[in-house]
Amino acid sequence: MVNRRNFTLGTLAAAVAGAAAGSWSLGALAQGGEGRVVALLFDSLQSPFWVSSNRILKQKIEEKGWSFLEAVSSLDDAKQFDQVKSMLSRNVDGIVIIQTDANAVIPAIREANAANVPMVHFMRPPAESDAKSITIVADNRTLAGDVANFVVEEARRLGGLKACVLVGDLGDANSIERRDGFLDVVSAHGDVVEVVSTIPTEWDPDKAFSGLTNALQANPDINCIFTPSDFLLPQIEQALKIAGKWVVRDEEGHVVLAGFDGDEGAYQRLRDGFLDVCGVQNLFLGVDLAIASFEQVWAGSEPEATQMARGFVIDYKNMAERETEMWGYHVLNG
Amino acid sequence: MPNVQAIWRGVDRHLVSLGAAILVLALVLCVVAPGFASVTTLYDMALALLPLLILALGLMFVLLVAAIDLSITATVAMTSVIAASLITRNGGYLSGELGIVIAFVSFILVGALIGLANGAMAAYVRMPSFMATLGTYLLLGGAAVWYTSLHTSSSSIAGLPGAFSVVGRGSVGPFPIALLIAAAVTVLAWLLVNRTAFGRWLAAVGSGQEAARVAGVPVQFTILGAFVICGVCAGVASIILTARIETGSPVLASNMLLDVVGAAVIGGVSLYGGVGKIGGVILGVLLLTMLDVGLRLMGMSLFAVLTVKGLVIVLAAAIDGLRNRMARR
Amino acid sequence: MIKQASPLLRMSGIKKSFDGVPVLKGIDLELAFGAVKGFVGGNGSGKSTTMNILGGVLKADAGRMELAGAPYDPAGPTDARTAGISFIHQELNLFPNLSVAENLSLEDYPRIGGQMGVIDWRAVRSRAGAALRSVGLSISPDVEVSSLTPGEQQLVEIAKALTADPKLIILDEPTTSLTSREIDRLFGIVRELRSRNIGIIYISHALADVREICDEIIVLREGVVTDEGDVHSMVTDRIVAGMVGRSLEQVFPRRRAPEARDTPPRLSVKGLSKRGTAKDIGFDIAPGEILGLCGLMGSGRTEVARMVFGLDGYDSGTVAVDGIPLRPRNPREAIKRGIAFLTEDRRVEGVHLQQSIVWNIPLVRLSKEGRALAWLDPSRLAAEASEIARRTNVKAASLEALVSTLSGGNQQKVVIAKWLTLSPSILILDEPTRGIDIGAKVEIYALIAELAEQGMSVLLISSENEELLGLSDRVVVLEQGEVREVIHRADDRFTEAGLTIASSAGGSGR
Repeated sequence: MVNRRNFTLGTLAAAVAGAAAGSWSLGALAQGGEGRVVALLFDSLQSPFWVSSNRILKQKIEEKGWSFLEAVSSLDDAKQFDQVKSMLSRNVDGIVIIQTDANAVIPAIREANAANVPMVHFMRPPAESDAKSITIVADNRTLAGDVANFVVEEARRLGGLKACVLVGDLGDANSIERRDGFLDVVSAHGDVVEVVSTIPTEWDPDKAFSGLTNALQANPDINCIFTPSDFLLPQIEQALKIAGKWVVRDEEGHVVLAGFDGDEGAYQRLRDGFLDVCGVQNLFLGVDLAIASFEQVWAGSEPEATQMARGFVIDYKNMAERETEMWGYHVLNG
Repeated sequence: MPNVQAIWRGVDRHLVSLGAAILVLALVLCVVAPGFASVTTLYDMALALLPLLILALGLMFVLLVAAIDLSITATVAMTSVIAASLITRNGGYLSGELGIVIAFVSFILVGALIGLANGAMAAYVRMPSFMATLGTYLLLGGAAVWYTSLHTSSSSIAGLPGAFSVVGRGSVGPFPIALLIAAAVTVLAWLLVNRTAFGRWLAAVGSGQEAARVAGVPVQFTILGAFVICGVCAGVASIILTARIETGSPVLASNMLLDVVGAAVIGGVSLYGGVGKIGGVILGVLLLTMLDVGLRLMGMSLFAVLTVKGLVIVLAAAIDGLRNRMARR
Repeated sequence: MIKQASPLLRMSGIKKSFDGVPVLKGIDLELAFGAVKGFVGGNGSGKSTTMNILGGVLKADAGRMELAGAPYDPAGPTDARTAGISFIHQELNLFPNLSVAENLSLEDYPRIGGQMGVIDWRAVRSRAGAALRSVGLSISPDVEVSSLTPGEQQLVEIAKALTADPKLIILDEPTTSLTSREIDRLFGIVRELRSRNIGIIYISHALADVREICDEIIVLREGVVTDEGDVHSMVTDRIVAGMVGRSLEQVFPRRRAPEARDTPPRLSVKGLSKRGTAKDIGFDIAPGEILGLCGLMGSGRTEVARMVFGLDGYDSGTVAVDGIPLRPRNPREAIKRGIAFLTEDRRVEGVHLQQSIVWNIPLVRLSKEGRALAWLDPSRLAAEASEIARRTNVKAASLEALVSTLSGGNQQKVVIAKWLTLSPSILILDEPTRGIDIGAKVEIYALIAELAEQGMSVLLISSENEELLGLSDRVVVLEQGEVREVIHRADDRFTEAGLTIASSAGGSGR
């Protein structure tokens, strides 16, 4: 998802920003209560998706009468490893972890195994290994396919679409699944949807913006865009405005816009008529699955190692009945 | 008592004030940050700051000759992926115990080679080290990612053997191996700076290159040596970091650069060259880390912590500037 | 000269303390219109404080000043300038990257059409032309200042001062960087200013210059006027006595006649050549001998020393110590073979100003072997340093003191101490007493003589002929990178006049 790897290492400014992100952290303590203690280890809190995940997790934990300890690694795997050790030495009962690197998290899982503490990877799977943990994943591929199906429907209605597909970081399994899920469906309907351009963004908003701007100049007839994450929507809006194509649904020049994640920006644009469809990640379900997994382990049973938090497609047609299930709706409306 | 005065004069004021600042900060944190005073927090903090300490010590050598190495964290990443590619169980070039020994050597060797290249540009081509190492920084940053992509389809090289990763977590008796390594680096650095001719050369080149040349100091060799030592330190820090996450990562330490420079400057190592003490660097690393941990424990946001850290670093650099101006008057 | 009722300047009972330490203890000074007054004193004598009070930079604690009969009490440097006082500092205040004309008009550009108008470049140039003529400088006003010789820059500075139409000019060490020809030109202008009834205060360490150009000389020591008189009565010994505070029989130590000359040379230089700098230079120095190197600036005297030491390269020739040539040609080789070199630029090349005395002294010895990992014992080094610092009589609160806090003379003693740790057999001294007060000079002279006595061979470079004559056994005269002649102590031309004639171009009719 919004796991932007800072491979550009561009300038000193990048170094400053890097140092900004790179510090050891032990988040705020919220101890108390007699119940269980769960550690929340995020790698960053820089996008709405993770901020919301964080908030919903805390909310559910408190509802259960447990408490939590928190730390943010600022995209530093070595630091996150220290944080895991530190949490284990504080005798937490469970760990929710969002690692940066799928490989680098393995030693941390082993530490948790050794201490007999369940570890849940939330919406970002680790690399395969002998270490044991529970992974809550989104059905990226299916959901992206469902989004594509809606796009195909729209294409039929509008008499064909020329699409531009943004792609995330190729080092991130999530972005590959979303790309493949979308393209598989669309290429099966090549008669109505033609993909004229794909833009590798490496999860970098600047690259997304410049790539899209160039694509719109090269192919002025692009009238459909798919983004694998909603956090790129502001850049897409900007690029479309420059091209004079930021037009609401059913008016001349509207670009069919398909999103993924379901954040508050997506909700707003859907409501305002600019976004047509969005693959919504079911954060609420994901959090419920994580909580249930902890309870199962504590009760002595063994939950599924990989659990799917099925998302759903929201579009302008079903928006009225399903918007309250969209996490972005709750961000916007408190 | 004249003796007391003499002793006071011999004491480094910067170190004393740093020590005092650390004590005050520790007291404040004990009161306002719940959990700071716990043994585990302090122990974890001590272990976590070791790579920063080794890097800051390495950078000190380069700062002593009035140069800078901006590629130090990129060197960490580069050595990490190269060594990892040698011994990874997923198609590494080497295996067995000998392979692991060679991997250790490769950390040091690759670090030294990068230092050698930086040093040669600074000493013989006479490029401003700022520019030369900024170039290396970009080059290594890109090369590390590219090199990784040759060995794996994922973004890092995993599957390092357990015999290697023991360095990151194992202990010898009550002493963690990482601590022993850092202690060895510190002692060696201290001996080099304070007990060898080379230590004097470093300061001589840094505080007056012309006078050093006339006095027969091998100026170019000294600059080269400082960069090689810095590169070796990056390699050693990389051993600990890589072993800790059992993964060779091309972005390892990528956000530590300002902390490294900051810790050295807070520790009284002058950006103008010629001045720097091991004790100061240790205290600088400690202060910066405590600040970071403590402020977070107090519940400050990442950005607030950054602002405070930035302020402290700017303050330290300003003090350095003022001291330098006074000395030149 | 027109007799005026009141003098141009009268300072009486000037007192000044810094942090309760009295620096001036009641200075009285009088300067007539059209007079040149030499103002001499060692470091810390109060010279510069007095001049800063006169120039409005500092305020006196007590005392009065009158300028042309009227009370004068400047609130700042601008007041002093308006009152007609121009201060020409030792460090010139010209902008090197601007043209001469721009420098001369910098403070108020003539403009076409009032204050906000465009600059009238024609007026700028003609004004500059007039100013340059007034100091007899025949250069184009359009050249950049950086391309001028130090002497020409000095004259431009004077020309600039003259544009303000001053009554009184203070010249601070004006001759340090000038060749003797340029000094002659400067003195010509000073005389010309005197004839225009302008008063001049001439500050200098170079007593010979002071005696040549001044009408009267006033001597300061520790904030008190110790002696004063007209130039005829103020002979060098009297001036020195006033500065140093004790009667000196002689500034220079007595030199014993050199020993029998059949010993092989310690240092021998043969056929040293470098395009544009040196041509076939050769000389020998015997053990215990002091060889002077005399020549104008640009004659190659400093360059020869740097080549001998291996700091600069050369095209051909050999430098040999005890008959064995130096190879490779670099400072460390020279050091290994026992050559010590006090460079001309003490502050940049001689010492590490920001390091302590005890740090500076052992540096050469620690570099000599070139062994990076050579073990070093700080307490032993400190003991050796303090021993050798005592020998060269370094005066400092502690050996931990930074060299930057020392006076020029003491800094130079640190440099000498540093080289003595080598126990060198050859000592090259390039302007060893430049910018050093007379007290320290005397000590350094004695030290040089003592070292030679012990068998050290000394190559002494100096722009002060007096110094060469006082110390050397022989003097090699250089001109435009060539050895012109060698004058022995026994020669009847071994005099100031003799050296001056020999070293100035065309002097011996060749």
